Amino acid sequence: MTAASAVTAAPRLELVGGGVERRGRWLLRGVDLVIEPATLISVVGPNGAGKSTLLRLLSGAWRLTEGRALLGGFDLAALPRRQAARRVAYVPQTVRPTFEFTVREFVTLGRYPHESRLFGTRSADRGWIDRCLDDTDLLALAERRVTTLSGGELQRVLMARCLATEAEVLLLDEPTSNLDLAHGLDLLGLARNLVDEGRSVVLVLHDLNAAARFADRVAVLDAGALVAEGPPAEVLSPDLLRRVFRVRAVPLAGSAAPVFDFEPLS
Amino acid sequence: MRVAFGGYRAGFWWYMAAGLALLLAFAGIGLFRGSVPLDGRDVLAVLARHLLPGEHDPADPRVDAIVWSLRAPRVVVAAMVGGCLALAGAQMQGLFRNPLASPGIVGTSTGAATGAVFALTFGLAGGFLLAAPLFAVAGAILSLLIVTRIATRDGYTPVTTLLLAGVALNALLAAVNSWLIARSWEQYEAARRIAYWMMGGVTDRGWVHAGMLLPGMVIGCAIAVWFARDLDLLLEGEEVAASLGVDIERAKRAVLWSAAILTGSAVAVSGVVGFVGLVVPHLVRLLLGPVHRRLLPAAFLTGAWFVVGADLLARTVAAPQEVFLGVVTAFVGAPFFLFLLVRHEGEVAVSR
Repeated sequence: MTAASAVTAAPRLELVGGGVERRGRWLLRGVDLVIEPATLISVVGPNGAGKSTLLRLLSGAWRLTEGRALLGGFDLAALPRRQAARRVAYVPQTVRPTFEFTVREFVTLGRYPHESRLFGTRSADRGWIDRCLDDTDLLALAERRVTTLSGGELQRVLMARCLATEAEVLLLDEPTSNLDLAHGLDLLGLARNLVDEGRSVVLVLHDLNAAARFADRVAVLDAGALVAEGPPAEVLSPDLLRRVFRVRAVPLAGSAAPVFDFEPLS
Repeated sequence: MRVAFGGYRAGFWWYMAAGLALLLAFAGIGLFRGSVPLDGRDVLAVLARHLLPGEHDPADPRVDAIVWSLRAPRVVVAAMVGGCLALAGAQMQGLFRNPLASPGIVGTSTGAATGAVFALTFGLAGGFLLAAPLFAVAGAILSLLIVTRIATRDGYTPVTTLLLAGVALNALLAAVNSWLIARSWEQYEAARRIAYWMMGGVTDRGWVHAGMLLPGMVIGCAIAVWFARDLDLLLEGEEVAASLGVDIERAKRAVLWSAAILTGSAVAVSGVVGFVGLVVPHLVRLLLGPVHRRLLPAAFLTGAWFVVGADLLARTVAAPQEVFLGVVTAFVGAPFFLFLLVRHEGEVAVSR
């Protein structure tokens, strides 16, 4: 992301005693989490721990059953959707699109909270879209159908749509899952740059070592509860990893971040 | 098909210009041709007298009656009906994220038919010309209210539940219609009127019918335009739409109402004209892409020229006998629908 897209400080986003119940089952309960401005926080946890649910709650896409989500101190549920969408952007796990938007049309969907209902996108919007396409290296693909893209290209398109909203808080659900090593590192680098410019980024990651290297803080979810939250060096201990992920974590020497080699429990 | 349409996208303004030209051409043929041969100059004189300002020579009253009271409103009503049905179909296909959805998928067109059949069997239509159309609109709106009421829980209306409730209501209302018709079998006149109406058409429609359709069309179109962009986002799923700022329950409600008003009004004046609302939006989406700001107006225009053209065929194929308009649209539409089904299946197989 270029310096030209510098943002005002991101608002504080927090969940106070957040819980959500669906069909008689608590997907997440009693979660207290604060996303401070300009922080990269990584959410980790085994499958079904409630990571995606947490992002949906933070984005306002799902209503809380109990507790509150606050954006800059205001109740997220009471905020008009358009206004919230200008500040918080959410990228769900990659799903194959079925409708034949071009890449440019698809990315322009992200301008919705800024568009006028009658006149649609204006030239300022189009300029911003060009910049988002450029920053994600997609200008060459702008007129391609999204249905014809590879998994990695699609991931970049989703990222571009997220940037198109100009939101200061970005919630990304497993953004690296479809990417090869180089593109994955590029994406994490992009997330790091966005945070250095003042945005907040919440990343759901499966790669614990990547989380340890790139994130300022790590939140560990297990069975619908937040079990630990803090700087990676404090949170990611062999003991916690054994408890939550049921693996033996062997610390690797020679790195500032707490990185491990993982082995199955015998 | 994929090669012809998939890689190519028609320019929006070119497409609209071509559609307008076709609409004018079909309307022109509809005005100048008919079972009574008329001199072209006389027809022009009548049109000039009614459409152009200033003083004109009085026209032959017989020609005036045929052109201005029979042919012109028929063409106008056909265009309006086609536009409304295609627009409503495009909205339903967007809302249900299913390119094979039709305007009446939530039960609105069957509901409209039930309303009209009710008015016709109980002889209400004999006393009051607009009874059947008004009952039809009421039937469409009532159907929508029932379906949304059934499908809504805690202020949330999942579209899949809506779809299933619509299918069930469609079946129920179709049964009610059959029962009402069977009841009226001995009254030959009522049964004949119902049968005519069910088959759909714009024969003998006058300016009063155009006037009937106008408010519903204007309201439906206005809502459709206002919520066009929301449909683009809903195509990507409700969660994504909500996270990008769409008030999804309000948007769904608005789109459903718009489509119900459009469908109900169209069915009210023309009966059940099949396949326009299914085939036209799908074709336009293939040509212009899924962005509703372009798709909706283009579907409206395409529906308009398609039905005016189909009505020309209905009038001329077996002249001097008339074929029902609904029969013509189904004859063109059904094979195309089957073709889409086959193509669709092929796509699913390939993508897996």
